[in-house]
Amino acid sequence: MKHFKPLNEKARLLDEATREGGVDEVVAMQTVAGCTATTDPGWEVDMFGGVAGLCQPMEADLYGCADPCWWPAQVPDVMVTYPDWAGDAPSAGQDWRKLDAVFPEDDS
Amino acid sequence: MRIHIRLNDIVSRAGRLAILAALMAVPLSGCAQKDEPAESAAAAPRSGDFMVVMNRPNNVHLIDLGQRAVVRTCELPGDFGPGSVALSPDKRTAYALTNRFENIYGVDLETCEIRFSARQSQGDERVKSIGSIAVSPDGREVYTHQNPTRLLVDRYEVQEARIAVFDTSAGLDAKPVRTFPAPRQVTIMAAGDDGTLYMGARDIYAMNMQTGATTVALASQSRNDPLESPRDSLSVWPLGDINNELVRMYSAAIFKDESQDMATADWVWGFERVDLANGSVESKVFGPLEVVLFSGMARPGKPNEFYGVLTQLKKFDVAARKELKSVDLEHSYYCINFSTDGSEVYLAGTFNDIAVYDADSLEKLANIELPGGDMALANSRVFSQRL
Repeated sequence: MKHFKPLNEKARLLDEATREGGVDEVVAMQTVAGCTATTDPGWEVDMFGGVAGLCQPMEADLYGCADPCWWPAQVPDVMVTYPDWAGDAPSAGQDWRKLDAVFPEDDS
Repeated sequence: MRIHIRLNDIVSRAGRLAILAALMAVPLSGCAQKDEPAESAAAAPRSGDFMVVMNRPNNVHLIDLGQRAVVRTCELPGDFGPGSVALSPDKRTAYALTNRFENIYGVDLETCEIRFSARQSQGDERVKSIGSIAVSPDGREVYTHQNPTRLLVDRYEVQEARIAVFDTSAGLDAKPVRTFPAPRQVTIMAAGDDGTLYMGARDIYAMNMQTGATTVALASQSRNDPLESPRDSLSVWPLGDINNELVRMYSAAIFKDESQDMATADWVWGFERVDLANGSVESKVFGPLEVVLFSGMARPGKPNEFYGVLTQLKKFDVAARKELKSVDLEHSYYCINFSTDGSEVYLAGTFNDIAVYDADSLEKLANIELPGGDMALANSRVFSQRL
């Protein structure tokens, strides 16, 4: 981080968190909740830059966002490519342990 | 507006009771009856408010809202998603958009018999519909908005979006009787009393269902107002039956002047609606943009009271553009609805319970748990039935 200079408020907050030893908390959040590659609110921060506007708990939002590919980078594409990803887990709140990572099938 | 239906218009009272008696005696394939009290209640003539809603794995539920009980659960073939339902005018048949946004099933809510079905994907063309299903006012046709893609050997080709019209009397494996080119990004639809199809997309469009002629009924993103930012609207919940309207919310910045200074702008929630009785449209700010809300609608009989929901349930004074009351919910709910008299609020979507709130106090009255899993994006339909 020593080569980076914060240019806006968010960057300054990140810089501050680094200096105060809060990096591990950020990494943990990415690991548990995913790391969005989209600009849509819903996974990490809400439209105000906070988390108060996110669905509570996260599992309440899981299938509502996975079914229409709203979170294409965070969960498997259940609409087309991995339709059975959540087939054995009708309740995200109770069955989330059954939701696993997916990998492309070997066609050879 | 209250919607009253009379099942006697569909089948004779004696015939209906015979059906109910048969239901009690013979377990029907594909029709899962709930526990004993619910089944007993189902056998008696019912009146009051009812809800139809879907959940995982692929169920359609008929719920007696007054009794806080699931009357009937019908299991559909295929997979879930998005779980959007539209009802026939007599409320006897629920048309479900499901199987990963592709198939339509018309299920009889009294018997769970599937009377209509359509596979929208055919041959090398894959078709998805995002929440967009509607029934004509005479019940003879069901409409979907189709997003087709041709799956070729070496590439996919995105096709033009279109509206497909199905004859509801065509039975199983129905094919469209006509199609019309349509705008893209349609996520909710409703049919007006005169047969016009209203589509919520970047704007709200109106389509003549005989000619396919399409006009902008309500300009949303195509507005060119120097005192307002482009509107942001999210809705995959066809709502508004009990107000006979198509309604959705939007958020926007209202500028102080044409310099469009974001720093001094007021961020607001507004609603856009089409009166399905006469096609008139309305767009109005109802409150400050302070939290994320997913769906909202006016309280029946009290158009100045607008409610919105996600992780809070909020009530707004439209004329004053201010929040009147807000409560935190036990978990987020996507889809709001009301009793037909406006006294109760029903929250659906996400998990598998319907939360019931008092519309005046916003106190929670009950949870109605559905057999099965999450409702996710499913919309709810509420109607009144008098016997």
